[in-house]
Amino acid sequence: MESNNDEALDIIVTNVVATFRTRCHLNLRKIALEGINVIYKPEVGKVLMKLRKPTITASIWSSGKIICTGATSEEEAKLGARRLARCLQKLGFKVRFSAFRVVNVLAVCSMPFAVHLIDFTKNNRPIASYEPELHPAATYRIKNLKATVQVFSTGSLTVTGHGTNTYP
Amino acid sequence: MLTNSGPVAKLYLSIIDDVIESMKELFLDEGLEDRVLDDLRHLWESKMMQSKAMEDFRKNNVNSTNFVLQLPVSYTQADRNQDLAAPVMIPTTQNIHSLPVKNNTKTPATFSLPAALAYPVQIPAGVTLQTASGQLYKVNVPVVVTQAPVGQQPASHLSKKVPERSKVPASQPAAIPPNPVLLHEPEPSSAPSSVITQTRTSLALIQENSLPHEPPGAEVTLGENEANSQPEPLNIGVTASPCPQFLDFQISAEEAAFAQKKHSRDIDEILKEVIEEERVKAKRARKLAGNAGNHSGTDLGLDLDYAYSELSDIVQMDGPADNSDPEQDEEVPPEENDFLGLINAEAIRALQEENGSDGNSISSSSDDGGADELSNVEEDPLNSGDDVVEQDIPDLFDTDNVIVCQYDKIHRSKNRWKFHLKDGVMSYGGRDYVFSKAIGEAEW
Repeated sequence: MESNNDEALDIIVTNVVATFRTRCHLNLRKIALEGINVIYKPEVGKVLMKLRKPTITASIWSSGKIICTGATSEEEAKLGARRLARCLQKLGFKVRFSAFRVVNVLAVCSMPFAVHLIDFTKNNRPIASYEPELHPAATYRIKNLKATVQVFSTGSLTVTGHGTNTYP
Repeated sequence: MLTNSGPVAKLYLSIIDDVIESMKELFLDEGLEDRVLDDLRHLWESKMMQSKAMEDFRKNNVNSTNFVLQLPVSYTQADRNQDLAAPVMIPTTQNIHSLPVKNNTKTPATFSLPAALAYPVQIPAGVTLQTASGQLYKVNVPVVVTQAPVGQQPASHLSKKVPERSKVPASQPAAIPPNPVLLHEPEPSSAPSSVITQTRTSLALIQENSLPHEPPGAEVTLGENEANSQPEPLNIGVTASPCPQFLDFQISAEEAAFAQKKHSRDIDEILKEVIEEERVKAKRARKLAGNAGNHSGTDLGLDLDYAYSELSDIVQMDGPADNSDPEQDEEVPPEENDFLGLINAEAIRALQEENGSDGNSISSSSDDGGADELSNVEEDPLNSGDDVVEQDIPDLFDTDNVIVCQYDKIHRSKNRWKFHLKDGVMSYGGRDYVFSKAIGEAEW
């Protein structure tokens, strides 16, 4: 649990999820036909648009809500979201970039040691929970940070939490 | 009918037929003459030929063996130099068994040069020569076949081909003996080798069945290179005529090595005569094809004279089938600029609306009235084009290669795509292809 060693632990942010709104109704079919790098999923009712520059995949709903995933940092997420909005604007929609919010940041880390999950859970009874039948990792929730750490028996951790500039 | 029978061509023609047929009634009902319909059909076909003909002809000339020429048996010295004759279209036969040097889906037809053909004969590229003995030589470069002077024995060499020599089918050899004219003495290396060398790079002996009804093929015999002359069933009549210009670079290059002997030329000249005939024949065929595209006809006719490698260069593609990337690239920016102007205006208007409503609260015009916090974050200035520039990459590779088809399954994993397509037609590199199934993979 403690990592007081001199070795630095590399914690890498691998995924940032953000949402924003365009404040206008979007015609998914038009986006699917005229947009570039788009995947239309009519069964679900959304369009996926992939950007290359910040590598971002955005799910676009007709209500104007857009979820941006795949960015590696919050700034990148914002930049990608704006680019995306710009794309939609060029397609002809009256897009207004609003309510940008980073919903989730995922980071990955690895301990140099293995973790015995049962004992770990016992020692951190209220905070940690482990249900091997449901998920192979123990879930450790840090309330004040509103973050969740998933501990695997190999020593790998994934940390998910809010972004630094989340809006209420 | 009008085309070389590529599968695509066949399909297109059948489509044209169907459409025209089904339109006939309508046209008649409207009171239009049949002639109009015929005109339409011809126009359609010619346009199709024009764009697609390129590929077919090009493909043919470059790759395949269209036909097999049989050089005529008889020959008179007197006739030499005269008429690189009118091409003779002898009823074609299918060559059942020929080994194409390159991919060739078409069964080559066989023509036989007239008995009275005068050498030298020019043979265009892409032709397979069949000698009297039944051996086939695939000609990939234009050559000239000439006749050996009297009394010379065929000395042939195709060292690598020697083992493949097939013995003449019965009918052929019969033609051979009675032509003393054609026999010539074992040439010193140069003479036959020149013939051989000129076509050496491309000649391939092909086993083939005899074509019984053909007038006995001309004897194109090549003597052994080395003095060991065998009485080859192949005879080449070689004239002493100066080789026509058809002797082309490759030939002449090799000829230079052997050029001392006149006879070498002569052999070439025979071939050249054949080439010439074929060229004229091909030209006629193309004119028959009624292609409006002049360059296809003339170019191709001329092409035959050119070096093999130039053939593909010469054929031009114009009109619908060209790639106009530069044009497209140019087009894109202006469009964007116009659009930018539009967006700007809109964005500005939008901005003004909002600002008017006092940053804190969303005006009633907005949808989510309850979400007041959202209003705080009206980061609207999408600075059109400024910092929020759109993707730079997009239309980099806007090509004219198009596939129109149906899909069975399209699958993606991360950025790897897999396509299972069916029943499609595609235009790729200016050529049309048709498929009933296609599988593709791509990375994004």
